[in-house]
Amino acid sequence: MSHSAAAVVLLAGAVGTYAFRGGVMLLLADRTIPPILERSLQNVGPAVLAALTINLAVSGGGGSGVDIVAIEVAALVVACVVAVWRKNLLWTLAAGMVALWVLAAF
Amino acid sequence: MPTDQQPTAGIDADRARRFRLDRTALSDAIPLVVPAIPFGFVLGLAITESAMPLWAAWLTSPLIFAGAAQLTMVTIAGTASLWAIISAVLVINSRHVMYSAALAPPFRHQPKWLRWLAPFVMIDQVFALAVLRNNDPPSSFRRYYITIGIVFFTVWNVVVPLGMVVGPIIPESWQLDFAPVVMFAGLTLFAVKRVAAGVAALVGGLVSLAAAGLPDRLGILIGAVSGVLAGAVYEEWISTRNGELTDAEAAP
Repeated sequence: MSHSAAAVVLLAGAVGTYAFRGGVMLLLADRTIPPILERSLQNVGPAVLAALTINLAVSGGGGSGVDIVAIEVAALVVACVVAVWRKNLLWTLAAGMVALWVLAAF
Repeated sequence: MPTDQQPTAGIDADRARRFRLDRTALSDAIPLVVPAIPFGFVLGLAITESAMPLWAAWLTSPLIFAGAAQLTMVTIAGTASLWAIISAVLVINSRHVMYSAALAPPFRHQPKWLRWLAPFVMIDQVFALAVLRNNDPPSSFRRYYITIGIVFFTVWNVVVPLGMVVGPIIPESWQLDFAPVVMFAGLTLFAVKRVAAGVAALVGGLVSLAAAGLPDRLGILIGAVSGVLAGAVYEEWISTRNGELTDAEAAP
């Protein structure tokens, strides 16, 4: 790949990513938001996080297709129980990963 | 004199409050930063093997700052057309539109300079932590966002060049690639504070599962949009039902 071609993809990738991340936020910043939109925006976070979690869990590193094994599902269940119980991220991570390593050892 | 001491006490209290906020932000960021480190090493190694010139591949870290998109760009460079590379990167990062929408309400109360700078660091992890603090006072939200943004940006821009030099050193048997899934599952549960949010998360997750076969992680965007729509429909149904109940009670 030539230096100029690399500069084009780098610049397009950087500008496009910034536009995706900043666009809606900057557009809505100085406007009055209708109550129904304001309420809907509160649900965006949970919906995206759930979709992201499931996609990462089942897609593996490849980014497509369903590829999850039983011990990973079990480790996720353990992590979710601990998350609800302790309401703490470090405990959640520790519980999920220890469950994964213990189950993988058998 | 008390009049002299009061401003000092106020400054001390303010400093203590900021210190507490920084400490909270750091302790929240650590569990999400650690799993990103091996990925950074892998990306660093991929950069050294990329068909892209080294300077351009390295600059993807500070300029694009999105692991999956960077990995895609440096991997397919040389085998795909320029248009194909650019569109793959943009499709992968399209989910950030939803992050931007979710964080729009707290940023309405932030100064312009932060609104323009904040998108640079709005990655999955920063979004996931910041969205839980949407209702914090504006000054606290600002301090928290800036702290976690600096942490992730710094660590990423140290780890990727390190990976370019030393390559992956963390054994695969640790399965650290599963750690982000565990973290995001916990963050999802923390974010659900109302029934409508629960409906949005449930539908978002299920649709994302059904759409998992789509390329470029498009399932995230489709799942998220479906979840938000389901949450809105649920809220509309509840308000209609409550309206009917109120009408029935008011009737003679």
